[in-house]
Amino acid sequence: MTGSTHAHADAPHEPVFVGKVREQLDALFPKYPTKQACLLPALWMVQEARGWISPAAMAEVADVLGLTPAYVRGVATFYTMYHLHPVGRHFIQVCGTSPCHLCGSDDVLKAILKATGCGELGATSADGRFTVVEVECLGACGFATPILIDDDFHDSVTPERVAGILARYP
Amino acid sequence: MSDLVNVTIDGVQISVPKGTPIIEAAKQAGVLVPHYCYHPSLPSPAVCRMCLVEVEKAPKLVPACVTTVADGNVIHVNNDKSKRARESVLEFLLINHPLDCPICDQAGECELQDYTFQEGRAGTRYGDYAKRYNPVEDFGPDVLYVANRCILCTRCVRFMDNVAGDAVLNVSERGDRAFIGIDPDHKLDHPWAGNVVDLCPVGSLISKDFLHKARAWDLDKTASVCTGCTQGCNTMIDTRDDVVVRLRPRPNLDVNRHFICDEGRSDYRWMNRGDRIEAPLVREGGKLTPTDWTQALDRLGAAVKAARRVVILASGRASTESLGFVRRMVDGASVTAAIKVPLGAEAPLAGVPNLALRKERVPNLAGASLAGYGTDWSAALAAAKGADLVVVLDADLDDADVAALSGAAAVAVIGTVDDDRLAGSALILPATNMAEENGTYVNRDHRVQRYFQAKPAPGMARPAWWIAAEATHAARGLAAPATAADAFAALGAMIPALAGLTYSDLGHTGRVVTPNAAGAAR
Repeated sequence: MTGSTHAHADAPHEPVFVGKVREQLDALFPKYPTKQACLLPALWMVQEARGWISPAAMAEVADVLGLTPAYVRGVATFYTMYHLHPVGRHFIQVCGTSPCHLCGSDDVLKAILKATGCGELGATSADGRFTVVEVECLGACGFATPILIDDDFHDSVTPERVAGILARYP
Repeated sequence: MSDLVNVTIDGVQISVPKGTPIIEAAKQAGVLVPHYCYHPSLPSPAVCRMCLVEVEKAPKLVPACVTTVADGNVIHVNNDKSKRARESVLEFLLINHPLDCPICDQAGECELQDYTFQEGRAGTRYGDYAKRYNPVEDFGPDVLYVANRCILCTRCVRFMDNVAGDAVLNVSERGDRAFIGIDPDHKLDHPWAGNVVDLCPVGSLISKDFLHKARAWDLDKTASVCTGCTQGCNTMIDTRDDVVVRLRPRPNLDVNRHFICDEGRSDYRWMNRGDRIEAPLVREGGKLTPTDWTQALDRLGAAVKAARRVVILASGRASTESLGFVRRMVDGASVTAAIKVPLGAEAPLAGVPNLALRKERVPNLAGASLAGYGTDWSAALAAAKGADLVVVLDADLDDADVAALSGAAAVAVIGTVDDDRLAGSALILPATNMAEENGTYVNRDHRVQRYFQAKPAPGMARPAWWIAAEATHAARGLAAPATAADAFAALGAMIPALAGLTYSDLGHTGRVVTPNAAGAAR
């Protein structure tokens, strides 16, 4: 990734697991046989709170769950949906799998890259608002092209609809 | 016999204990199941898929490293089905492998190379495919990680996690992007981390110390014992053109399993020292003069015979044979004998009981103690003042030690390295160092272990036991052994714990003796 908003990547790490988030995590422990089993949800909590998972945050997760930072890093890098670099306020995932591709997902992607000002895949727009990536099947092949913005699903997106959709994400 | 099961592996029928993994049962049947991730000293994750074998009536191939034998199993390691599976696994492993064997340190002792040669495909079906590339990473003091060669067997990860207890390695990313990652805040600097280099079945984790020093097929390998501490880890001395270039662990499940510490691993340069005593030197008209062994031994015999108060300052690296015969040489006199024991920090290997780099950094402390040597160095130095004769047996002397020698009437040095500070001695006799002789060490658990000659001795150097035995013969007419084996067999007369033991009793893994026993522990 060539993210351009690494500004806060060097900022000192503020603990994530304090107050409410800590309570959330503690509530999970009884549901799993081991603390280690809470690793994925814990990483999600970090990503929710910070937008991405920094090495310092991994160390914190390791500390909280009694694991080693190396192990947490191994898991975090295994899964593609954890962000290991800072991303924009809104994270846009565009389907690029065969059916969507045949129905013109390339044009949708180009329109989104242009409208957001990101320019290229994985990059964050200069205003820090958007990051765009291409993903494999979003599971809506009958409604090409689907895109996922944060947790919102938009189907049948065409290049013409892009500007209207993006306007809802300041 | 309910705890034994009968299995047939490639037509060989054997009985093995229940719970034995197929891969170990096959070993006993004389069949090697090719494997990468499996290692007898590590937990098995069954990730490499190389050891897939066919078990009759099982629906699909099973990994031999984690599948345990069941009674009546008929297992095929070398039939078409299993071989095809291995061929496919090898093809996958080689998709991104750089095939840089000509510049790879592992070439010649690489399991990827061996198995591909044995049963891999002759060509590639990925000719136009761009291999993924990752840069070489510096993991720690002696370890480089060449990511492109890695087959992700995870032996290194498991060693650091489960055995060393310092989990700094992981598998990062996934799929064909996966590589061995290291915690960015740490180095691979655990005192036992060097073992990942031996564990790595390919040339991915390599030793900086050994980097580009020798090709594996140019190395001569000699079974030996580490001289680093009283643990007595079994080692292999690798020499190239009679120069020691590498020490590696030699498996001994009772002592060091498959491991040695980094300090022991790097402790070999002294074996190659060039500044050696090469001829016997005797004092002629106030000057040290080279001579032959006959005259030198007569002189030593005469000096010993005349001496009433003798001090022996010995090295803890001397063999039990040498310590025993040097001690016998001065029998009849009043003797103070001691070895110098340097101390250091203890560094245990968490995952293996009773295995550590020990505080006492000499290999033969127990052997010396059996042979009648104390460890009170300063008392021995004090006794040297006014002694008729001080015998220095290859001891590492500092300036204060040398100064203490000046109070003795005569000094006889049986040594390896030439030392100007000892030029005032009456006799300086060239001895072999441990890489140049056969001998035994007794480790902290009183395990008597053999080491073998790895390289020729320089000049006229002889084992110290030979020098002492011949001098004793010259002085008192006692028969002198001709070989190290004879010398060891004769030690029983001096050291009751060793009575009745011979080299062949010790084998390659040693034998534990009872220190106060009148006879051998049989």
